Amino acid sequence: MTTPTPATSASVTVTSATPGSSTSGSLRLEQLLRRIGTRTIVDHLDLTVEGGDCLALLGPSGCGKSSILRLIAGLDWPDAGRILLAGRDITALPPVRRQVGMVFQSYALYPHLSVARNLSLGMEMRGVPRATIERELDRVLVLLQLEELRGRRPADLSGGQRQRVALARALLRRPQVFLLDEPMSNLDAQLREELRPQLRTILCGGSAPVVYVTHDQQEAMGIADRIAVLRDGRLQQCGTPQQLYEQPANAFVARFIGRPEINLLPQPDGSLLGVRPEHLHPVGEGGIAARLLSREWHGASQQLLLSTSYGPLRWVCNGDQPVEAELRLGWEPRRLHRFDGRSSLRLPD
Amino acid sequence: MSRTLRANLVTLVLIAPALLLLLAVFVWPMGYYGWLSLQAQSVFTGLEPVPVGLANWQRLLGDARFWQDAAQTLRFSGVSVGLELLLGLAIALVLHQRWPARGVVRSLTLLPWALPTTVMALGWRWIFNDPNGPINGLLQSVGLATLPFLASPQLAWIAAVVADVWKTTPFVALVLLAGLQMIPADLYEALALEGGHSWQALWRITLPLLRPYIFLVLLFRLAQALGVFDLIAVLTGGGPAGSTESLAVYAYLNAMRFLDFGYSATVMLGMFLLLLLSALLLLLWRRAAEA
Repeated sequence: MTTPTPATSASVTVTSATPGSSTSGSLRLEQLLRRIGTRTIVDHLDLTVEGGDCLALLGPSGCGKSSILRLIAGLDWPDAGRILLAGRDITALPPVRRQVGMVFQSYALYPHLSVARNLSLGMEMRGVPRATIERELDRVLVLLQLEELRGRRPADLSGGQRQRVALARALLRRPQVFLLDEPMSNLDAQLREELRPQLRTILCGGSAPVVYVTHDQQEAMGIADRIAVLRDGRLQQCGTPQQLYEQPANAFVARFIGRPEINLLPQPDGSLLGVRPEHLHPVGEGGIAARLLSREWHGASQQLLLSTSYGPLRWVCNGDQPVEAELRLGWEPRRLHRFDGRSSLRLPD
Repeated sequence: MSRTLRANLVTLVLIAPALLLLLAVFVWPMGYYGWLSLQAQSVFTGLEPVPVGLANWQRLLGDARFWQDAAQTLRFSGVSVGLELLLGLAIALVLHQRWPARGVVRSLTLLPWALPTTVMALGWRWIFNDPNGPINGLLQSVGLATLPFLASPQLAWIAAVVADVWKTTPFVALVLLAGLQMIPADLYEALALEGGHSWQALWRITLPLLRPYIFLVLLFRLAQALGVFDLIAVLTGGGPAGSTESLAVYAYLNAMRFLDFGYSATVMLGMFLLLLLSALLLLLWRRAAEA
């Protein structure tokens, strides 16, 4: 049994958060196309995020996920396609009129201004009355427990505190859509896991659609209601974390979702047979013969690499499972995935 | 030998080369000038130093020419550095934008700065020539009278400012351009999402974040302008009627024409104190701006 990590000063308990509570509506991307030179960055993308839903854009670097976010924010313009927010076509609107709350990967805090001024500058520029600014400021400072830091400059804040200021700035916008570009990438692994639940509470408590960009499948599964997996600007699959795990649409999605990576065994007919490392178990007969190559023991679980006639095989089992040097491994038929060898698309079960 | 003593000794040995260099090129000449300003060394003493106490400094305080030159030097420096800052900032902002042939224009912009001052001062002397220079040619071609740019006390210092601005604005632009490139682009994007237009971006982000570079370039340029010598010496020789004479030119004349080395050193030190005072004011201004 492990004891839960004690709460650090960076952890925040959020009781209620309602981003964009005044408005609600879905975000729709229709046949969105973005080219830079001859390269297609976003390739005829169709996506819908309902109000209050959190969609993670997941993919390796260079897959176009950040570009999509910039298109929604209005920082870049699409070459074709439409962006609809609450039924309204916003494709041609300048960024300020889209009313988006965005958290940049770098947080993009103004280094020369205090936390309070970082948060109020936007309202000042839009001519919001002073009394309203003070009220709104107090609201988010309390919500994100930043009251004591209001006079500090960004350079004097920790990574987690900077993230909270960036979140607060996005919340102050009362956004119709919430955009986050890898908001965890500047934090260390432990803080990331601590912050995930509260980020989820803040983001998904409201009625605005949330688009969350990440390359970390674990983060996407932990935060998002639905995940869109992207590769080379093209949508591979969009669904709940469970759908993506259980019914990956192609071999790429199967490999990207789930750790350790799924085993893809080439078959004589050219197709690929997929079975996840955690779905293997030792059998007396049948299955496939395997020889132990290496073993990583993690306490609760262990990760093993075996050699088979199909090639190397990954297996994950309980930490207390005895493992012999030579063994046979099998799986339940319902755990099996089959993919076409050429197109890598999922074959009917 | 204790550890700290040995560590200090090692430190001293390691910084000795730099320290010696500083002593040789900075402290020694300053000390020598300080000593020289307490001597009379001129044709009247057979060019031999004779201690005279504070006589040179007393003379400096009552020397109308010194104070007139000090005022002229300050006027020249203030106006030209101010103009260079405004123009340099404008050029830097333009060169920071993306447009075709930007690289070529950026290199071309630097050319005036690369030119030796003497060469460019000769060029400007011809441009301001009355009546044969191009500017007066232009005035004549539209039926206007020629202007005695370098022969009028009211115009000559402006001519010097124009030449100086032409030559050193590229330097200011270059330093500020480097500063602009240090400002992350996503700050502007965040501001745009919050409703800031480009004018607000300039005031809210660009200028505050450029402040250290503005300070740096002001310090560089003020130090240079307050010591201006070659441009004035070639363009006007300090004339007409001493109306463009700078402190450096006056110190030069004292040493090389009047052969009064003791007093020349005193004028030089007076100029140095002026420079120190300007740098101090700049420093105080920066403190105040940061608070």
